[in-house]
Amino acid sequence: MIVEARGVTIRYPRSGRPALRDVSCRVEARRLIAAVGPNGSGKTTLVRALSGLLPLEGGTVTVGGRDVASWPRDEFARVVGVLPQREEVLFPLRVAETVMLGRYAHLGPIAAAGDADRAAVSDALKRCDVAELSERPVDSLSGGEWQRVRLARALAQAPQVIILDEPTASLDVRHEMELFELFRRLTDGGLATLVITHHLNLAARFADYILLLSGGELVAEGSPREVLTRETLSRVFQWPVAVTSWGDGCPQIVPLRSGERES
Amino acid sequence: MGEFISILPGQRARMVWMLPWVVAGAASCGQATALSGSLRVVDDAGDTVGVAAPARRIASLIPATTELLFAIGAGDAVVGRTAWCDYPAAAAAVPNLGDGIGPSLEAILSVRPDLVLLYNSSRNGETATRLRQAGIPSLLLNTDALADVGRIARLLGRVSGRQREADSVAAAFDTALAAATVPAGGNAPKVLLLVWEQPPMTVGRGSFLSELVERAGGRNLFDDVAASAGAVSIEAVATRDPDLILTASEGPAAFISRPEWQVVRAVRERRLLQVGGSEFNRPGPRAPAAIREITGRLRVVAR
Amino acid sequence: MSRGHLALLLLAVAVSLVVGLSAGTVPLSPGQVWAGLRSAGAPAAVIVREVRAPRVLLAFLVGGSLGMCGAALQAMIRNPLAEPYLLGLSGGAGLGAVLAIASRAAGPWAVPVAAFIGALGAVALVYRLSLVSGRRLDPRVLLLSGVVVGSFFIALMSSVMVLSDSAATRNAFLWLLGGFGSSSWQSLAVFAAYAAIPLGMLLLNARGLDLLALGEEPAQHLGVDVDRTMRVVYVCTALLTAASVAACGIIGFVGLVVPHAVRTVARPIHRTLLPLVFLAGGCFLVLCDVVSRVVVRPLELPVGVVTALVGVPLFALLLRRTLA
Repeated sequence: MIVEARGVTIRYPRSGRPALRDVSCRVEARRLIAAVGPNGSGKTTLVRALSGLLPLEGGTVTVGGRDVASWPRDEFARVVGVLPQREEVLFPLRVAETVMLGRYAHLGPIAAAGDADRAAVSDALKRCDVAELSERPVDSLSGGEWQRVRLARALAQAPQVIILDEPTASLDVRHEMELFELFRRLTDGGLATLVITHHLNLAARFADYILLLSGGELVAEGSPREVLTRETLSRVFQWPVAVTSWGDGCPQIVPLRSGERES
Repeated sequence: MGEFISILPGQRARMVWMLPWVVAGAASCGQATALSGSLRVVDDAGDTVGVAAPARRIASLIPATTELLFAIGAGDAVVGRTAWCDYPAAAAAVPNLGDGIGPSLEAILSVRPDLVLLYNSSRNGETATRLRQAGIPSLLLNTDALADVGRIARLLGRVSGRQREADSVAAAFDTALAAATVPAGGNAPKVLLLVWEQPPMTVGRGSFLSELVERAGGRNLFDDVAASAGAVSIEAVATRDPDLILTASEGPAAFISRPEWQVVRAVRERRLLQVGGSEFNRPGPRAPAAIREITGRLRVVAR
Repeated sequence: MSRGHLALLLLAVAVSLVVGLSAGTVPLSPGQVWAGLRSAGAPAAVIVREVRAPRVLLAFLVGGSLGMCGAALQAMIRNPLAEPYLLGLSGGAGLGAVLAIASRAAGPWAVPVAAFIGALGAVALVYRLSLVSGRRLDPRVLLLSGVVVGSFFIALMSSVMVLSDSAATRNAFLWLLGGFGSSSWQSLAVFAAYAAIPLGMLLLNARGLDLLALGEEPAQHLGVDVDRTMRVVYVCTALLTAASVAACGIIGFVGLVVPHAVRTVARPIHRTLLPLVFLAGGCFLVLCDVVSRVVVRPLELPVGVVTALVGVPLFALLLRRTLA
């Protein structure tokens, strides 16, 4: 299953410049794409566009070759798992119940949850390392645990494509690394993955492909080495950076303090 | 009620130039005071009010007093009435001042009354005070029961200078009432007084309609209720099994065709009496006739 | 909800039905009630069969419907204070009833039907107002529009009442305070037949409600057609509530308090929550109706008064428990 955007242009109502202009990307199996860019560059808009939530002013978004608008929502949810940045917790459920919500797209309104669904839930819980929390209410979880539960819910959808919007925001180093290792494992296992992140260094370490957005436009795309260069990043983020190398040439970005110079 | 001095013709000239001082004194007290040559009346709210008798411009804001004023021949002294004063027909010619409860002060003042009659409710207390402060005597009166008819008639007679007519009206009323009253017997038919259909509402033993029915030889189905009005359940009605249903609402009785009412025998057998005239909701000289009408109907039911 | 809690709820339902049939102007023992139900000749038969049975069943149905609507709205609007009547219904129903009374519309069904139409009219207006950018039902705007439209209609209704010179119109609010005094097998059948479909539709959308409670975007990502689900839930709750007003006037607090009470002991998964709220709401309203019949007998209190008097302290208690 491939999710592809071609020349997508989106303008929010009552807004001057387009939120996305002529952006193309291809999310396919065994490839982990990281979309990075400054605040307001259109990363979340891209997530919404790929999910079929926004009307397009120009271009197309197709899922499995079909226009995304022709996909009924429950059918889409069986194939693509999307984890938005925010959600509310009005009536706190337990972890296992929350992850079961991911199975609703498969169950429909009437069918009761069966063994297959319970197996999918427990598998997702294990993969995200939250199995021992399954009876805990979600409002008692830490930030990292809650993120992993949400991810487990998306995995319970048994998707072929997974799109994550800032999944490691406000997580500590350990949980960031654990999550990205998990994304890498899932992608290597066959998933098509798109991660929106502002962690340039994590993107550099884990992603196969980088999309660099700025002002709604795709200013650069390619491998981390190609995209994450000093000139490009300093220009796009409007801050001086130095780029070092780690391991086998993986770029790592060091923002410079005022007065500092690259050594 | 106290009556001090009746005004003699010779004293009038003296009063005319004393008046400004007296009015000033009255205004500074903020209360009605006894004018020399006037009546002191204690109204039903317990206030003592000085009334310059005979009052020639009476704003009668109670349908019962309007009726009585015309009955005692003081109809030309009535300069204002409420929208509900529908009897006698001659009252229609009198200016309509609107509501009797919480009336418009402007409307009252516009007819320049020298006496205002208000129903004794707490809302009218304020109105009465303000009118008195403006120098217009106002009386708060209870006109709820048959016992009030004679008493109020006589009071109206005194303030309008028609004592003789008032006394004869009151006496005639007492006689007619006694004649119309059926002595209390053992087998009084039970009557449901239905004053509202949805939800079903009735009136308790102290109300005027209840009094009429009792005097007509019937028994209020809910005479154990002291409250003046309240919603009742159809179950209670069915259990008590009235012999007659008396409705005081306007228009055809829609409730008799409703399914939930069929459980009441009087509805199934169509034992209904509809009373529409205003003589059934206010005490007045027409009450004996009203009682007779109910008595006749009860006799039909008893057969 | 644990087995024990469920058993308790079912017991409460049974008890409330028995109490509803036994209590009233003439107190009957459960034995007399049973005799009356079984044979038409028993002394209590008429009262039990013709007066109390339809009344108790209608109160149960209405209470259950209002409770379920409250639970559905609280999830859909993501606001725990949501109540069926926030949709602007009371004002619309009141205006409809008052206009029917003022125009002396004939027939015993005139006022309920007019109230029903008025309620739906208000709902349609609120819906239109809440269509932000022409397409989407915005929950925040829904709440505001409901309050505003409701107040507007109540103002209209009050004007009509005050300016009218007919005693009937001036006292029209008595109908609105209502109650179950006019229940009959006929009105019960009409309500039951009518409520079946909206209730069924709400149950069908139970999973959608679980997801809507997370927010519109997460719900969409998990497979809900948010527009369609919100429209269906909105229309169903509007129909059910309008029908309740037509059947028994304006009864508040049931839709607000009962869902919260049930959530203190049951999981907030709507597939099980909605039926439980139905049972609890039915039970609650039957008992409130008993109180309204008994406390000042042989007079009756309006049921809406009793639900408020009971509902408010109950709500305060619930708040303490959840915040503690």
